[in-house]
Amino acid sequence: MEYIGEHTLLGNLGKLAVVVAFVAALVAAIANFIHTRNKDEQWLSLARIAFRVHGVAVLGIVVSLFGIIYNHYFEYSYAWEHSSKDLPVYYMISSFWEGQEGSFILWTFWHAVLGLILMRSAKSWEAPTMTIVSLVQIFLTSMLLGIYIFGVKIGSSPFTLLRELPDNLGMPWTKIADYLTNPQTADFFADGSGLNPLLQNYWMVIHPPTLFLGFASTLIPFAYAIAGLWTKRYNEWLKPAMPWAFFGVMILGTGILMGGAWAYEALSFGGFWAWDPVENSSLVPWLTFVGAAHLMLIQRNKGGTLLWAFFLNLLTFILILYSTFLTRSGVLGDTSVHAFVDLGLNGQLLVYLLFFVVLSLTLFIVRYKQIPRAKKEDDIWSREFWMFIGSLVLLISSFQITFTTSIPVLNKLNIVGVLNPIRSLFGLEKLENLAPPIEAIAHYNSWQVPFAIIITLLVAIGQYFNYKKTDFNKFIKKIGLSFIVSVLVTLGMAFLSGMTSNPIYIALLFSTIFAVIANLNYWISFLKGKWRFAGPSIAHIGFAMIMMGALISNGRQDVISENEEFIAKDFPQNENILLEQGDTVQMGDYFVTYTGRRTDKHNRYFTVDYFKLQQNGDLEKAFTLEPFIQINKQMGNVNEPSTKHYLDKDIYTHLTYADVQEKIDGKYSREATVELDKDGGQAIYEDNILTLDSITVDNVYNKLVLVSHITIAKTSGEKYQVKPVYILELENNIASHIDAKSEETNLRVRFNNVLTETGQMEIKVWKDTSEEKDFIVMKAIVFPYINILWIGSILLIIGTLIAMYNRIIKR
Amino acid sequence: MKRSHIALIVLIAFAIGAIIATTFDASTYVGFDKAEANLGKQYTVIGQLNKEKNMNYNPRANQFTFSAIDKNGIERLIIFNEPKPQDFERSEEITMTGYATDSAFIAEKILMKCPSKYNDNKGVAESENTYQ
Repeated sequence: MEYIGEHTLLGNLGKLAVVVAFVAALVAAIANFIHTRNKDEQWLSLARIAFRVHGVAVLGIVVSLFGIIYNHYFEYSYAWEHSSKDLPVYYMISSFWEGQEGSFILWTFWHAVLGLILMRSAKSWEAPTMTIVSLVQIFLTSMLLGIYIFGVKIGSSPFTLLRELPDNLGMPWTKIADYLTNPQTADFFADGSGLNPLLQNYWMVIHPPTLFLGFASTLIPFAYAIAGLWTKRYNEWLKPAMPWAFFGVMILGTGILMGGAWAYEALSFGGFWAWDPVENSSLVPWLTFVGAAHLMLIQRNKGGTLLWAFFLNLLTFILILYSTFLTRSGVLGDTSVHAFVDLGLNGQLLVYLLFFVVLSLTLFIVRYKQIPRAKKEDDIWSREFWMFIGSLVLLISSFQITFTTSIPVLNKLNIVGVLNPIRSLFGLEKLENLAPPIEAIAHYNSWQVPFAIIITLLVAIGQYFNYKKTDFNKFIKKIGLSFIVSVLVTLGMAFLSGMTSNPIYIALLFSTIFAVIANLNYWISFLKGKWRFAGPSIAHIGFAMIMMGALISNGRQDVISENEEFIAKDFPQNENILLEQGDTVQMGDYFVTYTGRRTDKHNRYFTVDYFKLQQNGDLEKAFTLEPFIQINKQMGNVNEPSTKHYLDKDIYTHLTYADVQEKIDGKYSREATVELDKDGGQAIYEDNILTLDSITVDNVYNKLVLVSHITIAKTSGEKYQVKPVYILELENNIASHIDAKSEETNLRVRFNNVLTETGQMEIKVWKDTSEEKDFIVMKAIVFPYINILWIGSILLIIGTLIAMYNRIIKR
Repeated sequence: MKRSHIALIVLIAFAIGAIIATTFDASTYVGFDKAEANLGKQYTVIGQLNKEKNMNYNPRANQFTFSAIDKNGIERLIIFNEPKPQDFERSEEITMTGYATDSAFIAEKILMKCPSKYNDNKGVAESENTYQ
């Protein structure tokens, strides 16, 4: 059958591009592999052509998919699911990578770009490294194939039409040739279901490409490490791989921080980091990557850490693959709020992961004996020794995060069989299965804060050590001043902010301050403020400031909306404040007034004025915040925060409740739907108990008239009767209602439906809220000095950039 | 003994420490009966929303109540002192962390598993069916 009006050109182009990209990657991998072994130039030129073709094909995939979204071809499942007509172009870009397939394409695209750069710059390393890059691309493009081989699904194509989805095969509407224009079905295809409102944020335009570039950048040092093992050039790979490692550390770090910025601005989680499994799984490879970069530095400057440099570079890429598996296989579904749903690609993802685990491990073991070792021990007063220790701490830190994050996976592997004997040693009860720690944040912090203290201390003293051997007296002389100043600053800050109660936090405060001051001093006094050598100092200051900002803003965060007026004390809802329109209520240092609401497109804004009490007792307006609710019919409404940024603190607010339903007759709102059993069912609506006494049935002119007798009992004891009516025209099955209104209780009750299956009646209840003041429930948190964190992020990026530039110059 | 060996031993010691500590911190998925045997203690219960009982959100008290059935088929009233989560009605499975009291299970954290978007399509397509 010929379908009418389908835009199949772009889809076919896209599918073709996927196949071409897949085949070209295969050819490139084989040709590069053969050239590495026999050095035949013909194979190398073939490999180059193949990879260029691959690059063009990947670009073709990107253009086709974006074309489909941009042109609103909603017959395509990807466009229908992830976009809609009202999206501006920059959010269409977000739509592109909202789904799994799109984000795979993004990842593939960056690999292709980095691969092309590598091809031009790798020189003698080209063939072996490009073998690895092409291998990875074979796996990634196969994820987009969307074909069945012997009944096994290989990949999921983003170019599938809705009518081609397995679920829709054989549906009656797929047999309508003009289903896109046919009035019976056209409505459905007129618009897509839209982009998740949480992703409609500018950070979501730039965070995913940055993060995926970071993911992609781990491939290059990995490829070099494999190539080094493979071609037995154990030392030479470090030099070309190092700038890539620094680039990767910078980009991946930026991507993770952007994710944090997004969470802080768009999600109502109340912070920028929640140790969510998805966040963790991108942090872990960054930690090992940082460790790898430092081990490479040691090896280049002094030697002796080659084995570890190999190990951590291999591990980093494998952790990226593991992270992909965790977030995309659906295994995290129980524990994370933003993991992808399962696309049925579990098996394929696992094969992808295992392939590279086995490849790395085999090569590593086979070559293990040949990898050059240190001839003698590192001196304990040497820079390399402490850098090495730092890298190990990063490794342990990432192990701890990975272990707890992997609980859902470990559950599948029956980990409790191992854990229960250990638990019984400590007299703990036997577990049937393993759930993540209930106090997840406390659990992670109890490990990661001590690690952060060690790392920041090492960051502080690291550069004061010389490679090989340091004169202890000179070391003390150089760093002494920084140490004393840091102690004084820490004591001052701890007392001023009242942070004296927790010794661990004070230790971290000290170590971060020490790291900032010592690195600043090192750069100014010993590097004479030269920009060329500023990279490590600035990056380290940035890192320490991120830790410091996180510590202060989280440790000293103050929920100023706390409200103990109406609920038992230990319930968390007293973190929310109820604001009636026009009333001025004290909240922390402020007095706040909810003045009213306004509508702007999909958003309902709630204007809240903040006042400060003046000396003379007057209230002076300080600022206005407008937390809003994004109305989204397909995905549900989303509460979005609004934050006042000061230099020294943020006042972060979001709504926890506001009534955004359309009012019936301009006065009834707060709709609730409840089901009542025929014989005396009860339901609670606010402070009313509704009881169904009886239903009387009448048959009038082919109409079935059901009159329900409902008693509304107030909690104060009064009782009122209402009789909502349900009418069914027997001829055409059309139902109508006569709502009952109760003046005394301000309720409107509708006999909405009869549920024949359960024998219950469904009623809808509204309340007359026209007399009631409009109100909102809101949460407000003050994050002090959170700007330290953001400034630190920028410094970390700048510092790493300088370090990378310096490494490229040195090549 | 070489210093790198010491480092390695410390590394392994920390790793084992992390595993043991996790077994201390880790919770376990239980049923309501288990939670009720230990009133006030934190547990994680996986259950399903009982769609036949009504759920109610009282904005003035910021209290959301609903009824859930755990994997053993035991049904309890759940009190969640937060607003109703988005798309709550559509949830297939609810992971509730909290504690039992003698009248209800007080949930402090709720995670939901929603049907995937692909199943969603199916739903739409089936309703399309009625056009025929």
